[in-house]
Amino acid sequence: MKFKKNTADHVILLILMILVLLPLAAVLFQIVCPGLQAKKFNLKNMLLLGDVFVRPLWKRAFLDSLFLSVGTTVLGLILAAFLAHIRVSYDFAGAKLLDIASWILMIVPSFILAQGWVYFSSGNGIASSWLGMKGISSFVFSYWGLVTVMVLCKYPMAYVAIKAAMEWYPARLISAARMNGASSFQAWKSVQLPLCIPAYCSAAMLIFMDTVGDYGMSSTITAVYSFPTLPYTIYSAICSSPARFDMAGVLSVYLMIMIVLAMFIQFKAMGKGRYDFLDNGTEKVMQKKVKPVQAAFLSIVAGAFMVLSLGIPIGSNLIMSFSDSISIRRFQFTFENYKSVFAAGSSLKSGILHSLSLALISAFFGIIVGFCVAYVLTYSKTRLKKAIDMTTLIAMAVPGVVLGIGYIFVWNQKWLGYVGLHLYGKPAILVLASVASAIPLINRVLVGGMAKVPESLLIAAEIQGAGFWERIRTVLLPLLHNSTVSATLAAFGGSVFNLAITTILYPPNYSTLPVFISDSYNDLKFGIAAAATIVGAVFIIGIMLLLELLLNIKVIREKAEKSGKAVKQGLRTSHPAENI
Amino acid sequence: MKKNVLKRVLPVMMMTSAALGMTACGSQSQTAAAPAAASADATTAAATETTTAAIAEAATTAATSAAAETKAPVQTKPLVVYLNDFDAVIPDLFKKATGYDVEVVVGNGAETMSRIEAEKSNPQWDVVWIDSMYDVYNLSKDDCLVTGWEPANAANLTDFSKALIPDNKCMAPTDIHAAGVIVYRNDVYTEADAPKTYAELADEKYKDQVGMADPGVAAPAYPLAAYFMDDLGLDAGKEYFSKMFDLGLKVYPKNPQVVAALASGEISIAILQESNAYDMVSSGEPISIIWPEAGAPGSTRVAAISKSTQQEDIAKIFVNFLLDPETQQQLVNTGDEGYFEPSVNGVTLKAERAANAKLAVADEEFGAENEADIKAWFADMSAQ
Repeated sequence: MKFKKNTADHVILLILMILVLLPLAAVLFQIVCPGLQAKKFNLKNMLLLGDVFVRPLWKRAFLDSLFLSVGTTVLGLILAAFLAHIRVSYDFAGAKLLDIASWILMIVPSFILAQGWVYFSSGNGIASSWLGMKGISSFVFSYWGLVTVMVLCKYPMAYVAIKAAMEWYPARLISAARMNGASSFQAWKSVQLPLCIPAYCSAAMLIFMDTVGDYGMSSTITAVYSFPTLPYTIYSAICSSPARFDMAGVLSVYLMIMIVLAMFIQFKAMGKGRYDFLDNGTEKVMQKKVKPVQAAFLSIVAGAFMVLSLGIPIGSNLIMSFSDSISIRRFQFTFENYKSVFAAGSSLKSGILHSLSLALISAFFGIIVGFCVAYVLTYSKTRLKKAIDMTTLIAMAVPGVVLGIGYIFVWNQKWLGYVGLHLYGKPAILVLASVASAIPLINRVLVGGMAKVPESLLIAAEIQGAGFWERIRTVLLPLLHNSTVSATLAAFGGSVFNLAITTILYPPNYSTLPVFISDSYNDLKFGIAAAATIVGAVFIIGIMLLLELLLNIKVIREKAEKSGKAVKQGLRTSHPAENI
Repeated sequence: MKKNVLKRVLPVMMMTSAALGMTACGSQSQTAAAPAAASADATTAAATETTTAAIAEAATTAATSAAAETKAPVQTKPLVVYLNDFDAVIPDLFKKATGYDVEVVVGNGAETMSRIEAEKSNPQWDVVWIDSMYDVYNLSKDDCLVTGWEPANAANLTDFSKALIPDNKCMAPTDIHAAGVIVYRNDVYTEADAPKTYAELADEKYKDQVGMADPGVAAPAYPLAAYFMDDLGLDAGKEYFSKMFDLGLKVYPKNPQVVAALASGEISIAILQESNAYDMVSSGEPISIIWPEAGAPGSTRVAAISKSTQQEDIAKIFVNFLLDPETQQQLVNTGDEGYFEPSVNGVTLKAERAANAKLAVADEEFGAENEADIKAWFADMSAQ
């Protein structure tokens, strides 16, 4: 049994190595061996690492990334905590809006949100031309403006993580504290707040890593408005001629140093405490009923926030999709952009089809690998745990463009052709890369869920004679149903719009949705880019709703049956872990 | 123990990485049949598919007579062409003219060259066709291109284009477009106030108003920078741009972003690639275009064949097809990408294009040798 467990741990690490570490190593190794050509091997090239503090562009990119990520993390965490608090604590009509906005923002890629913000804020954009808000442009394209836009794009994962932690109340522990003389505040400070530390740390890490490695926002806004960041500078190093893979390797090292430092801070903040508090002494937090005026005020806040975070970027895309000009100032209503998108020769239709199939396959494989990784990280005692955890975090932070180039080096080997594994130039490589990109998100969502399911539940099932698969099927999966559905949907949504990977790796004559949108935008076909975004989004949201329905169909049936029985018997069922 | 795990994992990864792609273009085994230099002379006429023929025989046939009698190579898989423009039309045009299939991989100039660089150990492309002449020339120095071959249609090249064929004949110019004409917002400047030469752009009165694309990212922007560095001399060229940077020159990743900045009023003057400039005018933006009398720096689109291709004959047919006046006329007529000066005689230019349009390019050797340094210098200057 131990042998099997160890084997499983090694297999998981091997999968992660193939998907993430090997391509990354192929890029990092370029520092001493440019082009991976043996004749160019030179250890003195390590001196390039010092150039980050010498070359103006690198220094600037490093500092810009650091300040942007730190600013976004601090403000994003505050915003996420505030929104999660009002969502969990108070009962008001607009509460669901916060969840909806967060989920949509989590799925919509940053480059599309960034395009929306450009349509809104540029000198000839919606704010200036239609709303007369002349100062918006100079604000948005400043440091604080970029932080604001980043915060509005990146807070959702933190919001979901914090909200999930706040939904459960350690009633028994609080009671114990109160019985021992603690005041209400002391009990909150010494029991409830410390139990939330993992959620806050995890939320901060999610924002930090998502920001520091973000390529979509960098390429669309920050690089254009003289605010170079590391991901975009890495892209410039790779997609420059002559290509400087060694420079990309150096900059990737610094990106990883920042992440390792952030992980170290998180590790120190969490210490060695235990945080699995979900048991039969846990209660779901009941939302407070507030006065109608207060409820209305909270609903207005939620609505206004939804307009700000989602309405501006998506609404701007919608408006631009009906514009016949790149300048809103010269806006004239037209359906031409949609006609072009649906035209017979348009590559969008095949692009959507390709992207959807890739995303479905990636989500399927991603959830399997992600589940295994999360299980090992939560319940296994393996020595490989830290290496596995670190790999998933690295996968999240490494810009897609670096991963993409690494994939070319790894999967374009001649000898792979002899064993039928020459995947470069085939859609399969996009699936592999998409799975690698999706694993961190799936993993974070599932680890968050599993962290609240004590191992004792699984041990109890084992004592009762349940085998490994039976424990997974009858204990873990039902408890993690919501997390699994969320992770699958997030992986699906994320894979559909994976711009960096598809830009680098797409096979000949194989159009994809994100490349179509990005190319149209870069060719200044703003209207077509926006129309493609809207059309693509409608398709994807439709499929996601369908997926959610299919994945939840059993639960819906069970709930219907339970409520029917409850009505008949006059009983109320309560299972605290059901909604994890 | 954790350290031990890493110790075991890292060397394996490093060694595996090192083992990857140890070979580059030059060490490729030449799997394609080595046709005689004149093989693709058969090209324009080669519309009929028959079995593979001896190249010399094909050349003789093509030179003398009808297509029906010409023996053309048989295609077993589509020709893979890496390009940055005309992706929507060229496969159909080529298929219609020759019956051969083409698959395109489109990206901007830098993305395409990066992909080629990353694939060096196992190239997946047959032909590259982009407006990055110096990059392509550098590929020939790495022994990645078929050299010493000139398409039959090269005989019809204009004098300007003939001069662009390097001694090793590694590439064929298919068109030249202005990498940077001077454009200005005519609602900000009158004709009298507007700059008329590139030198005037470094004048104090245009402080914070001028923008251009990044030579490190946009394919046409490097020929632009290289031209000034070559024409003025490296030091004087850097001095010219330094002065412009001091006066607030804004560098955007690509030309479309320069257009966006002009349209939004963020800048009022730009050195802009010509098709982007004409697009702005045709879409009604308040923009005027100046073609400097001394000539505008040109960006040359060239076609070159991978030394590792297994379809060299068809690749040569493709390159020759690009030099056909009829093909170039169809490309001119495609629309927004059709603003360029054809490389062959007998093509009618777009009516809107200025009659006095004059182009100038930097020397190939100079442009290729100094490419990395000039781009790095630009990147650092624009970050300061």
